[in-house]
Amino acid sequence: MRLSRTLKALGLTVATALAPLMASGAQAAGTMTVAVAIDPGSWDPIDTFLVDWSSAANNIYDGLTARGADMKLKPGLATSWEFLDNNSRIRFKLRENVKFHNGEPFNAQAVKFTFDRLLGAEGKKGPQQSNYNTIDHVEVVDDHTVDFVMKQPDPVLLTKLAGYGAMIVPPKYIQEKGDDHFNTHPVGTGPFKFVEYNPKVSLTLEANPEHWGGAPKLDKVVTRFISEANTQVAELQAGRIDVATLIPFGLAPTVEKSPNLDLISITGPTVVSLRLNTKEGITKDQNVRKALIMGIDRDAIIKAVLLGHAKPIASFQSELSFGHDPNLKPLPFDLAKAKQMLQQAKVPAGAPVKIDFRGNDATFREVAQAAAGFLQALGLKPSLQPYEPPVLLNDIIPNGKTGEAWHQAWGGWTFDYDNTAYLMYHTGEKWNPYDNDPKLNEMLEKQRTIYDVKERENLLQEIARYVADKALEIPLYNQNTIYGVNKRVKNFDAPADRRFRFTETSVD
Amino acid sequence: MAGFILKRLLQAIFVVLAVTLIVSFAVRLSGDPAIMLMGGGGNVTEEDLQNIRQALGLERPFFVQYFSFLQGIFVGDFGRSFMGGTPVSTLIAQALPSTLLLAFTSLLVSIALSVPLGVYAAVNRGRWPDQLIRILSLVGLSFPNFWLAIMMVLLFSIVLGILPPSGMEGPESFIMPALTMAIILTATNVRLVRTSMLETLSQQYIMVARSKGLADRVVLYKHALRNSAIPLVTYIGLQFGGLIGGIVIVERVFNWPGMGTLAFDAISGRDYPVLQGTITVLALFIVLINLLVDIAYGLIDPRIRTE
Repeated sequence: MRLSRTLKALGLTVATALAPLMASGAQAAGTMTVAVAIDPGSWDPIDTFLVDWSSAANNIYDGLTARGADMKLKPGLATSWEFLDNNSRIRFKLRENVKFHNGEPFNAQAVKFTFDRLLGAEGKKGPQQSNYNTIDHVEVVDDHTVDFVMKQPDPVLLTKLAGYGAMIVPPKYIQEKGDDHFNTHPVGTGPFKFVEYNPKVSLTLEANPEHWGGAPKLDKVVTRFISEANTQVAELQAGRIDVATLIPFGLAPTVEKSPNLDLISITGPTVVSLRLNTKEGITKDQNVRKALIMGIDRDAIIKAVLLGHAKPIASFQSELSFGHDPNLKPLPFDLAKAKQMLQQAKVPAGAPVKIDFRGNDATFREVAQAAAGFLQALGLKPSLQPYEPPVLLNDIIPNGKTGEAWHQAWGGWTFDYDNTAYLMYHTGEKWNPYDNDPKLNEMLEKQRTIYDVKERENLLQEIARYVADKALEIPLYNQNTIYGVNKRVKNFDAPADRRFRFTETSVD
Repeated sequence: MAGFILKRLLQAIFVVLAVTLIVSFAVRLSGDPAIMLMGGGGNVTEEDLQNIRQALGLERPFFVQYFSFLQGIFVGDFGRSFMGGTPVSTLIAQALPSTLLLAFTSLLVSIALSVPLGVYAAVNRGRWPDQLIRILSLVGLSFPNFWLAIMMVLLFSIVLGILPPSGMEGPESFIMPALTMAIILTATNVRLVRTSMLETLSQQYIMVARSKGLADRVVLYKHALRNSAIPLVTYIGLQFGGLIGGIVIVERVFNWPGMGTLAFDAISGRDYPVLQGTITVLALFIVLINLLVDIAYGLIDPRIRTE
């Protein structure tokens, strides 16, 4: 009796103490909160390559070109452009009457300053310069015209000007306040301006009503840094964040089942394959490689392991990628045919197939296990070798110490097949330890010089067909980009590359 | 007493130096930060990587890097983060108070729970309250802290919706992380208090105190508890090291902006300066706490000072 009374009193006290907190889940009207995994530490465009940087900073800055959620290129701070002097010079007409958030005017000087900085000593210290070193320098023609003088042709340049290192920064502000200040107090021309940055916690932006693209509908965008996926989902379920960007496949059903949440699963940039060793082991034989592709049921893996959040691929690129060929189909799954091909190639039963993979990738571990199951059914002896990612990426692959197969996962924001193809198949590249194919080299080099869109696309598609025919890898799947979004969010135009632009987005 | 403190202090300095050396060495085995920084970036050449290494000061020999790190420590300069270039000391100055606040709250909650429960169990030795407390402590010990944390989030944030699932915003955000840490600490501490109390209660001076006719409460709290406190103080001191280790996981689950989160992110990004800085500062704290425990020992039990 006494005990129960004490407990009741205790319960009441706790309830009273916590009552005022009940309301804390509700979000302020006009404010949208997005969770990303990593705090990039600096908001300067030339300091980072992190997608999480772009998820927030794509709202602060503009590039000369822009790319929306439909992945189509359109004018940004440049209203038009033309190729001159045999494509060695690109002339951009700049948008007029645009101001940076601090009131500084946007003009040709700002463009020149941005690229001098990116291509000079300051940019050398960061990871962005190497993406833009096909540009020799930028010349000011008049206040609203600039010329990009090219060192070598770069057909992907216009896309690359839409983001990351090419975002236009304010010259006076940086010169007066210094780089350190700019890192933590970014100023751009974008639809949202900087309010507050709390390292490792959050970044707050507010609407820039004078933006040339129209005033944003939201008042504020808060980006919170939450590196644990379970925590992002919990915050999403509790209604304290509106968009979660870190949702592993295993948690997708949780979001899907929540009545106040939407799961958005769209084609993303990341592709995954098992690259094959063409120098040693049974995979030296092209027909054996084809048999391995046909012996693994990739659709089953997508369904069972990735819960359907992926698509099969025929070449190492997303279907959004420039160079993707919808007519190129992957080799079909056919166990009987695969067995027969192995027999014809005189592969002994129990021949080893070692798969090297990144040990921290829990999803791929399951994929590799499933693939090993299929290889076993072919009468081979598969084994799995997990590695610490830096060891695999810096030693095992570049130094050619792999087993018969290894894990390749790649996603570039430019969505251009060149991004993967050149690095994966050209002789001497880090990710290509074994192959040396002069014909392939020639095609890879040639496509880098072609500005004609159709011609280049044809060549890229030819490269993809060539690689598929040589069976250099087992193409596995193109992983989806997954978002968890609160239903109160309206007009959330989900971008495949996670580079958000919240001009049209609003919250109830 | 002064000689005793001096000796302990010298030992402490040696330990911290050894930690800095091991950390600086080990972190450099974990992978190349230049490659991490480049990530999936387009057309990276060996020359680009070399430029980044040079900018980060990584092309210098190991001992040169180590000594410049050591030099920095003495003036409180731990270098700059590879990610974004923020001074490490700034990051630590922001993170350390959050972690210490959480650690001490957890410790206090745990003491507040374990001392009365432990004494109660000892007094009722063998009867049902004792059994119940022992079973509960076993259950508490068997929980992995991250599991406990996730279950609490599920119950209090998602089902009941009364507590924020993560972040450090107000007093309410302390409840779950501190409780997670405290439950695990309490599980061991209760047993320690109980055993220690039982041992003390069987001493003759307790019998004397009782036969003098002193009230039960005076005997328990004035005579028995103070004498049982020595192993407890030692243990809690030592626990602090483990507490910091556990906090890394709990901070991650609750997205607590503390040293654990800082260290965790630094490991994933091969951010050498941040990792070196956080671990050195945490090591300093653990060594300092151990030093204080040694001194507190001497205060509680005068016999130890003279040894």
